[in-house]
Amino acid sequence: MTDTSGTAIRDFETAIAELETIVKKLEEGDLALEQSLSLYERGVQLSRFCHTRLEEAERRIEILNERGELKPAAGALASDDPGR
Amino acid sequence: MPDLFDLPFEDEDGDETRPLADTPQPAAADRPQVPSPASVRQAAPAATRSILSVTELTIRVRDALEQHVGEIWVEGELSNCRVWNTGHLYFTLKDANSQLRGFMFKSALRYLRFKPADGTKVIARGRISVYEPKGEYQLVCEHLEPQGLGALQLAFDQLKKRLEAEGLFDGARKRPLPTLPRKIGVVTSLEGAAVRDIVKVLRARYGNVHLVIRPARVQGEGAALDIARGIRAIGRVAGIDVLIVGRGGGSIEDLWAFNEEVVVRAIVQSPVPVISAVGHETDVTIADFAADVRAPTPSAAAELVVARKDEFRSRVWRLRDRLSAAARSRVQTVGRRLHIAVGRPAFAGFPARLAMRDRRVLDLGHSLTRFTRASMALRARKLLSLERQLATYDAGRRLASLRTRLVAADGRMTGAAIRRRDRALAQVQTVAARLESLSPLAVLARGYAVAWNADKSRVLRDAALVTPGETIKVTLSRGEIEAKVSDRS
Repeated sequence: MTDTSGTAIRDFETAIAELETIVKKLEEGDLALEQSLSLYERGVQLSRFCHTRLEEAERRIEILNERGELKPAAGALASDDPGR
Repeated sequence: MPDLFDLPFEDEDGDETRPLADTPQPAAADRPQVPSPASVRQAAPAATRSILSVTELTIRVRDALEQHVGEIWVEGELSNCRVWNTGHLYFTLKDANSQLRGFMFKSALRYLRFKPADGTKVIARGRISVYEPKGEYQLVCEHLEPQGLGALQLAFDQLKKRLEAEGLFDGARKRPLPTLPRKIGVVTSLEGAAVRDIVKVLRARYGNVHLVIRPARVQGEGAALDIARGIRAIGRVAGIDVLIVGRGGGSIEDLWAFNEEVVVRAIVQSPVPVISAVGHETDVTIADFAADVRAPTPSAAAELVVARKDEFRSRVWRLRDRLSAAARSRVQTVGRRLHIAVGRPAFAGFPARLAMRDRRVLDLGHSLTRFTRASMALRARKLLSLERQLATYDAGRRLASLRTRLVAADGRMTGAAIRRRDRALAQVQTVAARLESLSPLAVLARGYAVAWNADKSRVLRDAALVTPGETIKVTLSRGEIEAKVSDRS
């Protein structure tokens, strides 16, 4: 088996697919220790990547005005309790 | 043939209040048994005073109305709407000055797209007839539609048909929603309910959203153009993954901008997938057909966007748990095997037994020991770092205790291996010393010699075993000589 731990992670979808494969392989359990270790390391790397991608979006509401400029939303939209 | 308008309508009407006794009664024989319009007409020129029964007249009026008015469209406001237990609808259609009684059969009522209610301005299609028992003319209505809808409906149907023919609504054109939308575009009114609903859902379900809202008028003059411009503007913002375009509920006229071609085309041309979210569940606009996904409401559109994120988030969590569990069980298995390997007698005696044989083998034994130790240590180190990762990841106290056990195992293994190697070395040195002292070469060094037969297969210990003239060999401390036996004693 080739060591994939150095391979760049392309995007979320391929990352989650690879993570799924790795977890299945590890769960089957009949791997050499070295192999399990590198798989595990790769798995951690992938799950961190997925986690980051999931959580990285900022909490932000912007208004795109007529001139194509982005301005932070004001008033009810910007507050935590919009339009209650 | 007398025309309807030749009849003294007003007079006849007025006569109704006159007592019947005052009316001259025609002879029974003059009156047709079964009154029919034809017989009435035939009878008319015969008498100077043409006298009709109410029924005859009513029938005449009915025929005239049905023939001369025929099928018509009429507009007015509904009032006195009532569905009788027969299932037929009765109503009055009125405008500022006049009223018209109307009636609609249950069978026609079924096809209405709206529920007729008092005060609704409608356009009715039907024919004028006369209800004989009451002498009332009325509209027998075949179709009713809210006023203003007719033209809109026609425009809707025509545009939909045209764009459909262009293939704009093809399933193959629909793009999938992004797996993980990071930046969500919204085109709607800032004053409407839609934007509040969307923000509310996203906040409740998923804190860290990045919304880019492009305000647009969503009803009235210029709304369609504004929405289309908004869709295009969002398309130019970098990093937008998905676009929600819509508005809250309203009348069909309020939602109309979403049935305009400019909006539909802007949706089709949007570089990012579009979710349409117009009005309520039951409102369908042409924008819905063109969008990649139709959401029944703006709230539902927001749900749609975050549901995927939620789904992926729990999937990643589950995978992380399984990954940790699988790695943990692997570490435990290997840990157990290390303990067993370190304690096994074969492992302990192995280098010592090798050392008995030869120095070269002994060296091999040493390097094997070193190698085993090194590779064990390497594994132990890897296990430790794996454990460390697990611990920092989420494995917790169970792993901490496992680490302690592994560190101890590592320590024991190293110490034990060193002790075993030293013991083996000492053993080998003892054996070598004993071998040294027993060596015949040491005896030869002291001046002794060894006599062999000619082919050195036997050491000669008895003179009787050789015959004079026979060749023998003699090994000295240094070198060897060949000799001939001259005599023996």
